[in-house]
Amino acid sequence: MRFIEKPSESDFVRDKFSRMPDDIYLLHIMHNIGAIDSERALPVEEIARWASMEKQRVEENLNKLVEKGYATLRVDSEVKRYFVTIDGIRKVLSIYS
Amino acid sequence: MFTWEYPPRIVGGISRHCEGLARELVKKGHTVHIVTLEFPGAPLYEERNGVKIHRVPIELGHPNFIIWTLLFNHFMEKRIAEISKNEKFDVIHAHDWLVAPVSISSKHYLGVPLVSTIHSTEVGRAQGLHTQDSFLIDGFEWWLTYESKRVIATSYAMKREIEEHFHLPSEKIDVIPNGIDVSKYEVNVEHEEVKKRFRINPDEKIILFVGRLVPQKGVEYLIMAAPKIFEQHPDSRIIIVGNGWIKDNLMSLASSTKYSNKITFLGFLDDRDLTELTLCSDVLVVPSIYEPFGIVALEGMAAGVPVVASNVGGLAEIIEHDRTGFLAHKEDPDSIAFGINKILSDPEYAHKLAQNAKRKVYETYSWEAVARRTIEVYRKAIGE
Repeated sequence: MRFIEKPSESDFVRDKFSRMPDDIYLLHIMHNIGAIDSERALPVEEIARWASMEKQRVEENLNKLVEKGYATLRVDSEVKRYFVTIDGIRKVLSIYS
Repeated sequence: MFTWEYPPRIVGGISRHCEGLARELVKKGHTVHIVTLEFPGAPLYEERNGVKIHRVPIELGHPNFIIWTLLFNHFMEKRIAEISKNEKFDVIHAHDWLVAPVSISSKHYLGVPLVSTIHSTEVGRAQGLHTQDSFLIDGFEWWLTYESKRVIATSYAMKREIEEHFHLPSEKIDVIPNGIDVSKYEVNVEHEEVKKRFRINPDEKIILFVGRLVPQKGVEYLIMAAPKIFEQHPDSRIIIVGNGWIKDNLMSLASSTKYSNKITFLGFLDDRDLTELTLCSDVLVVPSIYEPFGIVALEGMAAGVPVVASNVGGLAEIIEHDRTGFLAHKEDPDSIAFGINKILSDPEYAHKLAQNAKRKVYETYSWEAVARRTIEVYRKAIGE
């Protein structure tokens, strides 16, 4: 049996998520909850819930992601639904490999 | 074979490694099933070059990456349970910790030996274990090596790391390098046309970086070397190919130099574009601070492009300094600039490095050789 040691408090300072800009953090959340194609696109409210972020801040960051080509949207019954593009998927996966 | 990435899902070197190995194993008469993750636009099942590729849809997600990983491992388990109703397997081959749970459970469920290839370790990638996630990933890596009958490392540096960090017996580990498809570099490209496509002036010399834009790749040291390079070679341009979570930081760093107009970020390129751009390059730079193998260096060598690489890990095993490439000091912009300037200033030196390197790649790193040695490991694991 090998025990996993608990990191010290100061170690968390170097957590890559804490150094990540809001938009990339949001992209990572969208990827992990499965919004990776147009059929699985999600409205702002749902993304905000998963990310525990205010709706307005989510919207601002989603706009940045769309501008950079990492996310895109489709409009369904006047509701904007966002999903991660292929470039966005590669961006997210680079964090972990 | 379990892997979280398989073309067209290309994140790092694992994807191309699995593709090259699987294709060659099939050529040698073996049946290979790849169980991997879905990717937009790719079919959930296909046979390519005789390899049976199963792409598993992720039916349920979670914001936490580790939980997400455990969930997709479960969906892979579902798929292997289905496939194994009609197929009998002799060996399971896992690639890195991301598929550790499904590989270990399949080993016990199917009663066949497990072989794992460790392409890199968390402690190496993160240069230490600094977060809860890192500690857990490290635990997964240890667990995978512990449960494996044989472990494959892609370099002796990686072997030493596994032995020391996971306390694995040396005799359980085999070293098999990555392979490379040399034939894809045996094409003629029209330099002017390729440069035009990427908005590079026809007279500009290309200093190329290819890789994920993450801290371990050390791209910032190349950018910091820019002033010393451009002072001597104003007719050159740094081209950065790839994507990653520190891209914005690197672009800011490039903007802070007075040469930002000579540093181009191209993002991810498909295979054809990347091959053609590599063939048109004057020097390939691999400034990694941690590199268990360094397949990009091999690609440059196969393309006949002189390579400047950090003197770390697998790179130091692939490259012989001043004979098959230039080994620069780790995290040292001056050393990187010195190597690049030497190559750009001395065509004879550059030609010698490129020719020696090309010969070495052709002799040592073919997929045929990698597959042959991997089959030997499978045989050891099975007990033949």
